Amino acid sequence: MTDAHGQAGVHVSGLRKTFFPGTVQEKAALNGVDLDLAAGEFAIVIGSNGSGKSTTLNAISGELQLDAGKVVVAGQDMSRLPAHKRARFMARVFQDPMQGTAASLTIEENLAIAARRGTVRGFRMGLKRTERDGFRAALEVLGLGLEDRLSDRVALLSGGQRQSLTLIMATLKAPSLLLLDEHTAALDPRAAELVLDATLQAVKGRSITTLMITHNMDQAITHGDRLIMMHDGRVILNLGRAEKASLTAADLVARFHDVVSDRMLLN
Amino acid sequence: MEFLHTYFNLIPVSLAQGAVYAFVALGVMIPFRLLSLPDLTAEGSFPLGGAVAAAMLAGGSGIASAILAALLAGALAGCLTALIHLAFKVTSLLAGIIVLTMLFSINIRVMGKPNTALFSHDTLFTAFLGADGGAPLTQFALLAVLLLIVCGALHWFLLTELGLGLRAVGSNQMMARAHGLSTRAFVIAGLGLAGCLAALGGATMSQYQSYADVNMGVGVLVIGLAGTILGEAILGRDTLLRQIAAPVVGSLFYFQFVAMALSLGFKPSDLKLLTGLFVLAALGAPILKARLDRRAGSPRP
Repeated sequence: MTDAHGQAGVHVSGLRKTFFPGTVQEKAALNGVDLDLAAGEFAIVIGSNGSGKSTTLNAISGELQLDAGKVVVAGQDMSRLPAHKRARFMARVFQDPMQGTAASLTIEENLAIAARRGTVRGFRMGLKRTERDGFRAALEVLGLGLEDRLSDRVALLSGGQRQSLTLIMATLKAPSLLLLDEHTAALDPRAAELVLDATLQAVKGRSITTLMITHNMDQAITHGDRLIMMHDGRVILNLGRAEKASLTAADLVARFHDVVSDRMLLN
Repeated sequence: MEFLHTYFNLIPVSLAQGAVYAFVALGVMIPFRLLSLPDLTAEGSFPLGGAVAAAMLAGGSGIASAILAALLAGALAGCLTALIHLAFKVTSLLAGIIVLTMLFSINIRVMGKPNTALFSHDTLFTAFLGADGGAPLTQFALLAVLLLIVCGALHWFLLTELGLGLRAVGSNQMMARAHGLSTRAFVIAGLGLAGCLAALGGATMSQYQSYADVNMGVGVLVIGLAGTILGEAILGRDTLLRQIAAPVVGSLFYFQFVAMALSLGFKPSDLKLLTGLFVLAALGAPILKARLDRRAGSPRP
C-alpha cells in the first residue's frame, strides 16, 4: 500500500472536537490529536474514561463530525467523506456486541453484507450460493460451530458469538484500517479471550493496520506494535515497539501519573 | 343460521376487498417491519394514488399510465416523509402526519374537486373482466394475480444486494453504515417503495369502486397494520417469504372478520372501533401474557 508520497498507513492530525459549545455543558473532547500508523502496524490505545479514545475512533470512522482535523487512510483524505463512504477503507468492531451485526438477518446474510463492503450495491443477488464455502471457512477459525448455523438469525447468538462474528465480518475483506473500540470489554472473560485471540489471528496474519482501544493494561503491553496513551483529548504517550518492549503494567501506570501530574503542575 | 347465511353471501366481496387492501398492508409492513421506522404516510398516499388514477382515467388516460402515475405520486409522498424526517430531524411519525395532512389539499387539487366518479370510464376491472367489471370472485382472482406479481417482485428485490442493504438498515443503522450502506438513501428509498404500494392500493380501490374520494384514506393505516399483525400471527415472520405474505394473507382474513362483524349486526361505522380494538389487543396481548405468566410463576408464600 506504500505510495510515492510516503502516505501509506494512517495519518491523523489536529483532531478537534468540542461538545455542546457555548453552553454550560461545553466539553472539549479532542484538543488536537495527532497519530501516525505505518501500514500493517497494530496500535493499542489506552487512557482513562473521558480521555477521548472513543471520540477519536468515531472521528476517524466518520460517525462524528469534527470541528477541525484531517484523517488520511491509505493515501486517501477521508476528512469530508460520510461514514458509509469511509467504510470502503475501514472496518469497525464496537464495544456493544449488539452494534456490529444485524440481528434480524441470518449469519450468512450478515457475512454477505460484509463481503460487499466498499462495493457499489446493485440488483445482483445479495447472497450467492457460491459464497457459503468461503463463509464457512472464515467462521471455522473461531471454533464456535457458527459455520454450521449459517441460516440462523443473528438474534439467536450470544454476545460473545455476535462479537466474534462482527470481527470476522470486519476482516472478511481486509480493510486498510481496522478500528476496535474496546471490543472485548462487554464480554465474559472466556469470550473476551476468544475474541482477542481471533483478533490477533486476523490482524497479524494479514498485516492489517489496526487501532485498538482497551482498558486492559496487560493486553496493551503484551500485544501490538505501538502503544498510545491519551489524556484530556490529547496523545500523551506514543511508544514504538522498541520502547514498549521493556515496559511493565506498573511502569505504565507510573508513567501515566507522571505525565498527568506534570501537566497539572504546568497548568 | 341467519348469521351464517349473511356471512356466506359476503365472502366473495370481502375477499376482493381484502385483496385491494393487501397492497396498502404491504406498504405499511415495509416501514414498520423492514425499516423499523413507524410511518403513517399511507393514510395520505392511499387516497393520493386513488385521486391520481381517477383523475387520469376521467381525463381519458390509459389504465396503465394512470396506475403508473399513481405509483410515482405515492413514491414521491413516501420520499417526502423520509426527507422531512432526515433533514429536519423530525420523528418519522410526525413527518408522516405532516405529509398526509398536506396531501389532503393536494388530493383535492389533483381531482379538482373532493371526489371523482369513474362509472362511465374503463378501469382495470372492465378491461379484464368485461363491461360490468366482473363478479366479486373474478375480481378477487384478478387481484390475486396482481398481488402474486407484486409480492414476487418484492421478494426478488429484498434478496438483491440493495434489498439486503435495506433490511440491514432497518435492523441496525450503525452496522449498515460500517459496511458502506448509506442509511439515509435506504430510508428514503424504503419509504418511497412503501408509498408506491399504498398508492397502488388507492389506485386499485378507486377503480374497484369506480369512485375516488378525498376521505378514502381515513383509517387505512390501522387496517394495514391489522392485516400485517393478523398475517404474522397466522404465518409467523421466520422467513422473508412469510414476512411478505403476512400482510396479504392477514388482509384477506381481516376482511373475513369484518364480514362476520357485519353479519352479526354491527354497523359499517362500528368497524373502525373494532379494528382499533383488534390492533390494541394484538399489541397488548404479549405484555398481558408476560404479566400473567410472571404472576403464575412466582412462588406462593
